[in-house]
Amino acid sequence: MIADKPHLQINNLIVEREGRPLFEKLDLSIGRGAFICIEGRSGVGKSSLLSCLAGMLEPASGEITYCGQDDSQQSPKGFCKKLGLVFQHLRLTPNATAETNVLCGLLGQRSTWRTLLGFPRADRQRAIALLEKLGIAHLAQKPVAHISGGERQRVAVARALIGEPECVLADEPVSSLDPQLARQVLSLLKQECARSGCTVLCTLHDSALSEEFSDATLRFHGEGGWDYSAGGRS
Amino acid sequence: MRPRLDAPRVAFLLFLLAALFSLPVLRPSGRELDYAANLARFLSRFWPPDFSILPQILPSLWETFQIAVLSTIIASLVGIPLAAAASKTTAPKALVTSTRLLLNVIRAIPGLVWALITVAVLGANAGAGVAALAIYSLGYLGKFFSDAFESADPAVSAALRASGARRVQAFQYGIWPHARPLIWSHTLWMLEYNIRSAAIIGYVGAGGIGTWLHTYQEFYQWDKFAAVLACILVAVILLDLAGSKLRSALAPEA
Repeated sequence: MIADKPHLQINNLIVEREGRPLFEKLDLSIGRGAFICIEGRSGVGKSSLLSCLAGMLEPASGEITYCGQDDSQQSPKGFCKKLGLVFQHLRLTPNATAETNVLCGLLGQRSTWRTLLGFPRADRQRAIALLEKLGIAHLAQKPVAHISGGERQRVAVARALIGEPECVLADEPVSSLDPQLARQVLSLLKQECARSGCTVLCTLHDSALSEEFSDATLRFHGEGGWDYSAGGRS
Repeated sequence: MRPRLDAPRVAFLLFLLAALFSLPVLRPSGRELDYAANLARFLSRFWPPDFSILPQILPSLWETFQIAVLSTIIASLVGIPLAAAASKTTAPKALVTSTRLLLNVIRAIPGLVWALITVAVLGANAGAGVAALAIYSLGYLGKFFSDAFESADPAVSAALRASGARRVQAFQYGIWPHARPLIWSHTLWMLEYNIRSAAIIGYVGAGGIGTWLHTYQEFYQWDKFAAVLACILVAVILLDLAGSKLRSALAPEA
């Protein structure tokens, strides 16, 4: 029954920048476990849309509703603990280690007291296992300020995945990786998400990658038009 | 932004103005005085220092050190939550304004005056010294720490908040790792500062080696006074050296 309901429902959404709408009214229903790519020139509102979906930006009008695994209807703010976020500028804590940064993805699910003196051993093992899958376990104890851009990006992806989110919102998660590594990271993202039925919305600037990985594509054209099509670019 | 005319700046402007109006006080006494001979006579009383009093003053020197350490630690521990309340990235505006005002008022009152107040309240003992220096240091550390918190990128803690982290967690994992080395460095600086301050507050009865300075001055025992000064000098030099070593060891890796 849950499978019949869309995981993410967007109704009449308008997002504005400096008083001007970024794109035409957006209506979308996204099924659970789908991998959606968002494409379009820079400045068309891809990041703003993701910010709205993450509850960090108020849309000018319209509604965003998540349907939880428990069949509850929730706003982005109410759903935030079940979201995995990868930010365009990563927003990692520079002086904390890669491992700690990954563990930060669990903060919403652990109480303040539980994390006051560090994370439980099981959580730390899970963080290391994720870093291992991303090929950077050897950097776990290094402050992220001292690792490369591509390595940081993988730390950010691991931070988004560690909480076993129901939905991942990723803004250019592979922009600083070479094509081979980008494939590897997107495969992992897809694999981890398929395993738990997690929905992924992800902006990508490489249409070859988008074609290879996406189940559907939301494409913004200039002038604010958009279209939504199943499958990658044909 | 910090207000352009906060209490310390107003105090400084008033001070400059006061200095200007005070210049007329620098006039000769009217008597025929031989300044050089006066100075020589006064200084000759300091020499040679009388180190026979060492067994008496060493315990006081230790007490000075204890006062400085305790007051710095108290100020640092209380300073962290107070600084979080004074930092724009972690507290609402009204709380920031009132906390900063409090810190400014504390800083505007000199350490020796705080010692006069605490001696009046707690009696003439080392505890009053600890209280005085702890309050005074709090004014500084609260300000320094809040600057450290504000220098962390707010987007990082906002990102943690967005995926459900509570305020304290976003602070602990988004801001604290950035601020921690700065907080160590400021605390060590304050400790060095407090060792110098703790040496003087004994003058008003707040314990430590300053008590002996006061005593020997009262009885014109300048040779003993000089021995106390020499002890303070050695202690301060040693601690400055240790402090700078520690600070470079704790500095964030470049």
